[in-house]
Amino acid sequence: MFNQFSFHARAFALGALLGSASLPAVAADSQADELAKIKQELNQSIQMIKALAARVQELEAKQAQAPSASAPAAAAPSIVQGPRPPQPDTARLDAVEQKVTEIETMNATRHTDDTGLPMHGFADMGIGNHNPFHPNEEGTYLNNIDFYLTPQIGGRFLSLFEMNFEVDHAGNFGVDIERGQLGYQFSDAATLWIGRFHTPYGFVNTAMHHGVWINDSLRRPGFLMFEDQGGILPAHTVGAWVTGALRGDGGKVLYDVFYGNGQQIISGYIDMRSGGNDHGKPIYGGRLGYQWTAGAAEGLTVGVHAFESRIDDDQTPEGLTEIKVYGGYAVYDTDTWEHMVEVYFFNNLDVFPSNGVHKSKAYYAQFGYRAPWIVPYVRYERATLDQTDNYFSAQVTGGSYYRSAAGFRYDFNTKAAFKFELANTHYTDRTVGQINEILGDISIRF
Amino acid sequence: MRSRTLALFLGITIATCTSGAAADDLYVICSAGVVLQPSEIRNVFIGEKAFAGSAKLVPADNSAAQAAFLEKVLKLDAVKYAGLWTKKSFRDGANPPPVKSSDAEAIAFVKSTAGGCSYVTSIPAGVTPIAKF
Repeated sequence: MFNQFSFHARAFALGALLGSASLPAVAADSQADELAKIKQELNQSIQMIKALAARVQELEAKQAQAPSASAPAAAAPSIVQGPRPPQPDTARLDAVEQKVTEIETMNATRHTDDTGLPMHGFADMGIGNHNPFHPNEEGTYLNNIDFYLTPQIGGRFLSLFEMNFEVDHAGNFGVDIERGQLGYQFSDAATLWIGRFHTPYGFVNTAMHHGVWINDSLRRPGFLMFEDQGGILPAHTVGAWVTGALRGDGGKVLYDVFYGNGQQIISGYIDMRSGGNDHGKPIYGGRLGYQWTAGAAEGLTVGVHAFESRIDDDQTPEGLTEIKVYGGYAVYDTDTWEHMVEVYFFNNLDVFPSNGVHKSKAYYAQFGYRAPWIVPYVRYERATLDQTDNYFSAQVTGGSYYRSAAGFRYDFNTKAAFKFELANTHYTDRTVGQINEILGDISIRF
Repeated sequence: MRSRTLALFLGITIATCTSGAAADDLYVICSAGVVLQPSEIRNVFIGEKAFAGSAKLVPADNSAAQAAFLEKVLKLDAVKYAGLWTKKSFRDGANPPPVKSSDAEAIAFVKSTAGGCSYVTSIPAGVTPIAKF
């Protein structure tokens, strides 16, 4: 019995040694107290082990006596004398275990978005004394329901399709394939997209798409709206686009190069010629930026952009403008702040009719604070556009303006947001006047 | 025999409790051939790093350990993590990592998927962890 207890004590000590290998070092002053405490606990544990061992021996002794005591009562049922339980069929157990492993593996490698048609999207609607996207209208409006799909087609291939069901400036309901891109990832530094994409200039045109929920503000700056909502730039291009990032310690260089169909102004709005153009002229350009990903400047991105195109219109005689646009942007995007500034300079040549070179500019600055429950923002935007430049005069919304706006975003939950904006817009050339806007919008994602 | 096992178990249990050993360690595992530095793992799971050399990475979350992983490795909460992938998906056409429901599923995924990476709560058999958090 003593040898058994010695073994138990040795086993306990071994366990204590194994488990305590990571015991932190204790200060010299408290070491003695700590050791005394541990010794007391060990003694208590040893006493408990002694008691448990004695109880186990007692139960084993009783169990050993039980078969001889019940032997005369052969007719009564007895646990000891009963038939042996059937031995487990090891072959069946092995088969079941293998099946479970197969099921686990199948489930582990099943990609949930391969089943059916995974679809996500955005939608928004609102009310205001003006439609935020078509100022000539007022009241309640349905803006859009915007679906996007990113089918996984395997390997290094990427795909993205954005189908937008929207109400246009005339109140008509229409459908657009806003983006239809197929891509190939060469590496982290280079992805090639072909199809229809958002032209890579500035910041908001590639960061904020047709889903209003994505924006913290209620709407884009006016001159950067989409073509059918009053924007003066070719927000979409159909062609090819190479983009990527070169990552280093603390930051990364961002780049974009694109080439596509030159646009055309049809019925006063820029058309991105998704089926090709009839003059064979391209749009091409690029963007270069640097984003800090660590340090004091983490969240700051600065960059420059430029593009050229030959854009004609549907007038008689047909006008043709060689546009050259260049500028820069700066964005500070963190958990607390969302600030962005973009500037665009136009140096356009009227090819036909030959009216010479025209210079114009447009810019905005927006500052936002991401408070825990609300995101307030303020914005100033201005477009000073030479109206003798055929490129602007041919567009319905090509007039000059400036706007001051303030608003906020409130998230009901992770999928629904309410946005409110007060804005004062001054038109300064085609029509001279101002409007005050009170706008509310509810946007969701799903 | 039972009493000896009981003594050893009690000893290990008591010593483990008093030693303060971490019970919520995370082990990041990847399929054979994937070489990653611990400092790169965050970028893999937020979609900023899609390749390790020429290998296309396929990360997968493990719901059994996701809360700890978000806190320890990504330094994000669940809402921000979901929002990050919504934006990345909408902007770049990227898909968020699939979610496995257990360590066993995560291990099976890594073993059967070229470039697969995930995380588990205990050192897995048959897979060498590439980082511990």
